[in-house]
Amino acid sequence: MTHLSVEQLLATREPGLEPGVKALRDHLQECPVCQAERDRLAQRVARLKALPALRPGRDHFGAIRLQAARERRARGLRRIAIGTVALAAAVTLAVALGKQMAPAERTLVNPELAEIMGRSRQLERALAGFDQDRAVINGRAVGITSSLEDRLARLDRQIEVVDLMNAEGRQQAMIKLWRERVGLLDALVDVHLTGARYVGF
Amino acid sequence: MDAYRLADAQVVLPRLRAGDPAAQEALFRAFEAPVYNLARRICRTTEDAEDVLQETFLEVFRSIGQFRGDGSLWGWVRTVASSKALMRLRRNKYRVTDELNDEIGPTRGEDTALRMDLEAALERLPETSRAVVWLHDVEGYTHEEIASMMDRTVSFSKSQLARAHARLRRWLGEEVSV
Repeated sequence: MTHLSVEQLLATREPGLEPGVKALRDHLQECPVCQAERDRLAQRVARLKALPALRPGRDHFGAIRLQAARERRARGLRRIAIGTVALAAAVTLAVALGKQMAPAERTLVNPELAEIMGRSRQLERALAGFDQDRAVINGRAVGITSSLEDRLARLDRQIEVVDLMNAEGRQQAMIKLWRERVGLLDALVDVHLTGARYVGF
Repeated sequence: MDAYRLADAQVVLPRLRAGDPAAQEALFRAFEAPVYNLARRICRTTEDAEDVLQETFLEVFRSIGQFRGDGSLWGWVRTVASSKALMRLRRNKYRVTDELNDEIGPTRGEDTALRMDLEAALERLPETSRAVVWLHDVEGYTHEEIASMMDRTVSFSKSQLARAHARLRRWLGEEVSV
């Protein structure tokens, strides 16, 4: 008498009734050898489910949180950049059409603001370099970095809001916020440099 | 199975969508252990499992807006984790050797009834087989779902499961003479 293979036994455990499975189940009902094999299979599965849970050796949330904050910040920056380009295009079009523009819009590409934004981009690139290196930083540095990242996220939301405003003084508000942003990024770079040095020596 | 239910998920979800770090931490603390366990059971090394853990939560935080809440949050997180772990398997270069070993059948050592505990036997399975066993028998995925996640056929998933059980049976010394 031919007994069921492992594959056939597994098939009898699947829900539904595929062609041929009924015959396998009929055989199983009659055959004590296959029933014993089925029970061993069920026990093996139960033991697999009962294996102890493996846990990570260290806490990964700090690193995940930092990376998530960076990604969120990058997405916010992309939105600001797209908004700025769209607004600049609108201004150019309006000027070309000879329309009277508000002073704040005409001076959109303020040299001082452009310079600060350029500095911000440089620092972002430096930080991206640290990310790629996955430099290890100590626990205290992680705490400071988290706090700076949170402040940056809040600041980026403010920049987004101000960027949409069409009021007089918008330009000055933007310069102030972007300066603050460069300051925070500078601090972040410092933390990474100090952290890397701390680990390195 | 929804043993890892995040308390008041409906309250946490809007905060997660807004990128609230406290909500992110609550989600991480609720699901960190089962995600890591799944990743570690599928991946060969702890380093790979830790990478999968990080990639999973980053993906979850990135894509939480796409979770519509019609299933359990754990079910959704687990699917992200399974995909990341399987992606890691595909990326790893030792997969090639692994599949070759899979094709050449049992080694001399396997034919002798070497008894080992289940943990060691599971660890010894080829990666693809181990992933299928874990996803099917422990996590409760169907062969259709596994095939879809692995980008393979349903019969591939079924045959991997059968092979894995045949090996486990032998290695655990469960074979009986008929």
